[in-house]
Amino acid sequence: MIPNIHWNLISLETTITAVLALFILLDILIGKTQKDWMGNLSLVALFAMILMWFRGDHIWGQMFSGMYIVDSLAWFFKGFFLLTMFFVLVMTQQFFRSLEQRKDEFYLLLWLALLGMLLIASSADFLLLFISIEILTVSLYVMTAYLKRDKHSIEAGMKYLILGALASGLFLYGISFLYGAAHSTRFVVIQQFVADQPTNPMLLFGFVLIFSAIGFKIASVPFHLWVPDVYQGAPTPVTALLSVGSKAAGFVILLRLLFGVFAPLHDHLTLILAILSAVTMCYGNLAAIPQKNIKRLLGYSSIGHAGYLLMGAAAGSTLGAAAITFYLLGYLFTNLGAFLVIVLYFVVSKNDEISDYSGLSQRSPLLACALFLALMSLAGIPPMAGFFGKFSLFIAAVQNGLVWLAFVGAANVIISLYYYLMVVKRIYIDPPISAYPISVSWPVRLTLWLAMAGMIGIGIFQGPFLDIALAAVKGMF
Amino acid sequence: MFTLGPLTGILLYPIIGIILIFLTPRDKTSWIRGISNTAVFLSFVTSLWVFFHYDSASGGYQFVDHIPWVVPLGISYHVGVDGINSVLVLLQGFCSFAGVLVTRSIKERVKEYYLLYLMLIIGVYGVFMSLDLFFLYFFYEMAVMPVYLLIGVWGSSDKEYATMKLTLYLTGGAVLAFIALLSFYNGVGLGTFDLVAIQQHLTVHPLSPQLQNWIFPVIVVGFGVIVTLWPFYTWSPIGYAAAPTSVSMLHAGVLKKLGAYAILRLGIQMMPEAAQTWMPWVATLAVLNILYCGLISLTQRDLKFILGYSSCSHMGYILLGLACLNTIGLNGVVFLMFAHGIMAALGFALVGTFYDQTHTRNLDELGGLAKRMPFVTTCFTMTAMASAGLPGFANFVAEVMILLGAWDKYRWQAVLAVLGIVVTAVYMLKAVRLVFQGPLPAKWNHVNDAKTVFQRLPYALLILVLLVVGFWPSLILKNIEAGTRPILEQLERSADIEQRITFRKTE
Repeated sequence: MIPNIHWNLISLETTITAVLALFILLDILIGKTQKDWMGNLSLVALFAMILMWFRGDHIWGQMFSGMYIVDSLAWFFKGFFLLTMFFVLVMTQQFFRSLEQRKDEFYLLLWLALLGMLLIASSADFLLLFISIEILTVSLYVMTAYLKRDKHSIEAGMKYLILGALASGLFLYGISFLYGAAHSTRFVVIQQFVADQPTNPMLLFGFVLIFSAIGFKIASVPFHLWVPDVYQGAPTPVTALLSVGSKAAGFVILLRLLFGVFAPLHDHLTLILAILSAVTMCYGNLAAIPQKNIKRLLGYSSIGHAGYLLMGAAAGSTLGAAAITFYLLGYLFTNLGAFLVIVLYFVVSKNDEISDYSGLSQRSPLLACALFLALMSLAGIPPMAGFFGKFSLFIAAVQNGLVWLAFVGAANVIISLYYYLMVVKRIYIDPPISAYPISVSWPVRLTLWLAMAGMIGIGIFQGPFLDIALAAVKGMF
Repeated sequence: MFTLGPLTGILLYPIIGIILIFLTPRDKTSWIRGISNTAVFLSFVTSLWVFFHYDSASGGYQFVDHIPWVVPLGISYHVGVDGINSVLVLLQGFCSFAGVLVTRSIKERVKEYYLLYLMLIIGVYGVFMSLDLFFLYFFYEMAVMPVYLLIGVWGSSDKEYATMKLTLYLTGGAVLAFIALLSFYNGVGLGTFDLVAIQQHLTVHPLSPQLQNWIFPVIVVGFGVIVTLWPFYTWSPIGYAAAPTSVSMLHAGVLKKLGAYAILRLGIQMMPEAAQTWMPWVATLAVLNILYCGLISLTQRDLKFILGYSSCSHMGYILLGLACLNTIGLNGVVFLMFAHGIMAALGFALVGTFYDQTHTRNLDELGGLAKRMPFVTTCFTMTAMASAGLPGFANFVAEVMILLGAWDKYRWQAVLAVLGIVVTAVYMLKAVRLVFQGPLPAKWNHVNDAKTVFQRLPYALLILVLLVVGFWPSLILKNIEAGTRPILEQLERSADIEQRITFRKTE
């Protein structure tokens, strides 16, 4: 029997497959050129997909007998990943300008990673979920080690591969337990089973294994050990993708599992999640203090942010889920803005040391301003997006009786402010290391403006964006 | 649609100013100065208008603008002023206008300076007129970003250490208070951040004592950090010493009062029962503030450190007044917030006039400046007198009110607080003597006075305010009374309830 396919539900995924096929073909036909045609064409294709995303809004449904669903959450995160892809593409174009390396495969891998992320957002079956995660992670392994003459990149790829493979193994092992208990890998069936027998040991064991694998994706303690080295060694666009795309993908899965499949267990999980959240943010923020490399610093800080986000998961309410979604949206503009500055500065200085950022404000006011705003948003200072994100996470925690967790979060805001301000000090207060101004081309300038507008706009006009976040998660409650 | 009143205008002029400056090329410094001065002037004039048009007979919140902002969480853009706010908005009007005029002395990275300075001004105005808990905090924390850079980039001496210390202390206090406020919001259970709605609700259903008893002290300590509540004052003198003139003016003059205002509005008004329990502790700390910081000030050799410790010491009177919880005490607090704000801004502004030329503030190196700058000397001597509480200046009225208020409740604290005035007189007069009197060292022969009318305007304006209010206190007192009346009624009601409970117990 031919399955009944609703093309509009998988339009984005189909387009990516077509783009990939086209690129492979064109690559063979055109061969090696100096021109970055693939990057420009990628941007065109991505804009077309973003238009499709806007047109396809509010058409929900499911396919392949419930394996693949499109609901408000899936659609929101598909848009999220497309926007992430846009920033990462711009970064990639800039990043490879300075390197003598073929970059066409890199674009193919990026598209493949995007395909994985889009599928993750729509997975309603553990098998499909596993396959989508693998599509994403395998392309990330290769991209991390892409700079094959740079030993840090190779080391990062290796570490990521080994630990990632371990996480995948745990995930599969967990699925087998769930299947053993519930005789299915469908989310709906397992959800029913959880509601009937919440204390089934096989189920719980499977859940713990799966949760560990997700912990690896979102970089929560104690599954965070890969983060600093991989963030530092990977090409910067990949680091950006890891810190935003891959982390958000982890949180989509977490939202679907905690608030959907395993929702009946949530009351038993609150304390564990709260402790994980507290430990994760303390670890990430404290370990970020002595860092000398900006990518490593942001790596540790991203562990800290995973901790804040887990606060919403621990709260477990609609507001908690919406707060996670809102926070991620602000985090997208903020972190990708920061990484774009890092890429642009790397092209000039060939270096990611924080000491090299001295006096950036006098060499390029725009880059300095963008990085400053991004760091303030990460620290959670109004009127930036990060403030309202933290605000809603804290409210969610307090409303669910986790006042102590909110206090831990508050302490972490101060710790993180310290190391972010140390970078700000470099940028604005210290004398410049060279008087040579940095020029930024117009398209990139516009992208930076977009990132800044996102940070400030979401931070000041929080209402509409919180409504979007609430609409995205309301399907689960 | 929504019609927007004068208060939104006060916020909007600097915002428009920021946008215009952003679009101006960075080498057109005179345009940038012109835009900022105009924007701040417009806000200042509007704040004057608001103050004089506030109807103190009917009281309550006036000039209210209300726009729903984040509906699911009950956040709205809600601004308005009652008697207290109208006085504090006026204070910010005077200080920011004088501050932006003094900013003339900034010569490098002018564009960034004005952008950040306007942002700081918006934040402070915002706190004083927000009737929404969320926006109050939003504006309060907004000051962090500009202040760090303003001190760090344009400051002097130990600026990097000072600005980091100041930022971390203030943010630390703020987030502490923030969690308490969220618990408060959650405890009220209305699902709204609207202060007016919460206030009305609380008059009928006060918050449970257990909740009040931990939230109140956390709020007092959290916001107390910025009022330099002892022992959290160490960020302040070093921060002011490092800050550029116009930032120390705003910080010492107005930002410190934000904390006192928040304690009054969010602590005492919302949780009167806990206030009765906890405020005696604050009264004791306040005396430590007055004497401890005053004595430190005696030993300082840097003029800005003297003024910095002096302002920490004077915050003790504000805290003591808050602890009184009676009519005359609370009125005195708001009065002193105004008077001390103007006086502190004036003091730091005057130090700036000669520091820009001598590049030292050390008492041992200065001297005899009266010969070169008679105008500044006159102003500074008057500031010193005002600071020491000489009759005729606004500070005298305020301090007398607070001491009278404290006399009944805190007898020995009041006696010690009077001692503080003597200490103030000693270090202020010593400063006047060492800086302006005596022989003039030859190296200061190039120092020039503030000559033109435009240069003298900020100082003259602030002195005038101190004198006018000093001789005619009822000018601002009638507004203040209209503002404190509901708070006092709330306090009386809670005291009644307490008495009834104890009465029943004894029966």
